[in-house]
Amino acid sequence: MLLTVEDLSVSYGKDKPPTVTGVSFYLNEGEVLAIVGESGSGKTTVIRALLNALGGGGHFQAEKMLFNGQNLPELSASDWRNLRGKELSMIFQDSGNMMNPVHTIGKQFVEYIQTHSDLGKKAAYDLAAEMLTRMNLPNPENILRSYTFELSGGMRQRVGIAMAITFQPKLLLADEPTSALDVTTQAQIVGELLFVTKGSGTAMIMVTHNLGVASYMADKLMVMKSGRVVDYGKTEEILQNPQSDYTKTLLKAVPEIGGVRFV
Amino acid sequence: MSEEIIMRVEHITKKFPVSEGRTLTAVDDVSFVVRKGETVGIVGESGCGKTTLLKALMCIEPPTAGRIIFRDQDITKLSGEAKRQNYRHLQMVFQDPTAAFNPKMKVKDIICEPLLNFDLIKKNEVKAKAAALLQAVELPEDFAERYPHNMSGGQRQRVAIARALALSPDIIVCDEATSALDVSVQDSIVRLLVRLQKEQGVTYIFVCHDLALVSLFSQRIAVMYLGNVMEKIDGDKLRAARHPYTRALLQAVFSTDQEKNKYIGILPGDIPSPLDMPTGCPFRNRCAYAEEVCAVEKPVLTETEPNHFVACHYPLTAEENGW
Repeated sequence: MLLTVEDLSVSYGKDKPPTVTGVSFYLNEGEVLAIVGESGSGKTTVIRALLNALGGGGHFQAEKMLFNGQNLPELSASDWRNLRGKELSMIFQDSGNMMNPVHTIGKQFVEYIQTHSDLGKKAAYDLAAEMLTRMNLPNPENILRSYTFELSGGMRQRVGIAMAITFQPKLLLADEPTSALDVTTQAQIVGELLFVTKGSGTAMIMVTHNLGVASYMADKLMVMKSGRVVDYGKTEEILQNPQSDYTKTLLKAVPEIGGVRFV
Repeated sequence: MSEEIIMRVEHITKKFPVSEGRTLTAVDDVSFVVRKGETVGIVGESGCGKTTLLKALMCIEPPTAGRIIFRDQDITKLSGEAKRQNYRHLQMVFQDPTAAFNPKMKVKDIICEPLLNFDLIKKNEVKAKAAALLQAVELPEDFAERYPHNMSGGQRQRVAIARALALSPDIIVCDEATSALDVSVQDSIVRLLVRLQKEQGVTYIFVCHDLALVSLFSQRIAVMYLGNVMEKIDGDKLRAARHPYTRALLQAVFSTDQEKNKYIGILPGDIPSPLDMPTGCPFRNRCAYAEEVCAVEKPVLTETEPNHFVACHYPLTAEENGW
């Protein structure tokens, strides 16, 4: 078991009611868990809690929160720094926004690698270029010299994934990794993400509102509504036999090619 | 289904001058007709010219060439009062209703503003008219006194639809009207649009990047790529699409049915810059079926079956389609 989360609750501010309550799930090495739900259901809050990056006065409590043998709530600030970016890394909705627009991608990539390792500048640069090549980006040197706004959305997302997997993390957290992309680019990035997880045994928790992508990628599915889990289990079981009414309505609302027409 | 054509879009081309004396062709020779009470879906990825085409349709940015015949006049040439009057019959629903509303106006003022602009109602009729319009879009009457920020995204989009409906226009143009919404909300908005169409005979031009959604409620679909229409097909026949790009789009739609997900296919490469258009067929450098002729000669839209147009030298057959 790579990750055990039992009865996680998160609240923002002291006297506020919790945003997320009673979330429990388990993840093995190389497994993909998709958290689906609509805006405001607390999906992102859950993975932000795993990263201890809640912000806005948020804090989390859990019965049990074990990652790779470490008890997450007990970690010190420096433990978190060692964990984040190395064993636990994150992919954002638009990786262009997580980077500084006035520095080149190469500079930031090298800085990231050097923060987490003892590599020299040249070695870090070569590693960055190698990671970009692995993500099917042609001319990595060219990309390392570019600024984020010079790349297309799909390329930016590939750069973000390349950065996130540099240190072969045990767990990748992805927050809507394909939502900002066009459909054909989305299919490309989904392919890359599956290649990353299936190829190297990296587990992934993916937050998405796209049930199709979740069904395609995930081994396990967790459906959230108003901060609570309404359905959790193996993807096929949930798709074929959803327990809650909410999941049923959600599944029915997904437009399908060749589905029931409105007219 | 009526056969009455209410809008003819003929050979619309829009070129923008860019640096060093070059031109960027955002929309290249696009033609289609809109029939009364129908929905025309326009599908394509970013950079395909959807927005430029819409701007031409809405007389915001006149096209370089071509004309749009609507109510017996070419609306691309309109200006001044004639142009203003044209908007009585042509209304629009935007992607982000938050940005489309004045945050300091109450809902009743937002939805009745078009009526007041055209002197169709008096100020003291606003309340009654707002209530009727809110009812049409399935919102409670007391929403009339609210401000846009006091509502959810789906409710705001309903208000936007109410405002577009206020003038009983012939055509409502929807620009990604459901893209920012959650799936269940999207579902209810589409159901609302379809109900209004059945009851009031509204015609929609629905621009969207979600092929699955468009296919479920459009009678006609035009697939665009780099400013060109690649294929025009009936919404219920989408699976018989013959253009390799349409097929790639179809194969990129993830489904909750894992059987269907076996057909997922990945289209390699990125959409080229419109400044750097490939010669011949715009899709050829990403197309698995491209031959020499595709680099030399640009394929023209040809009717392969009744009401089914394909711009391809080697359109796929049903067997190759894989469905």
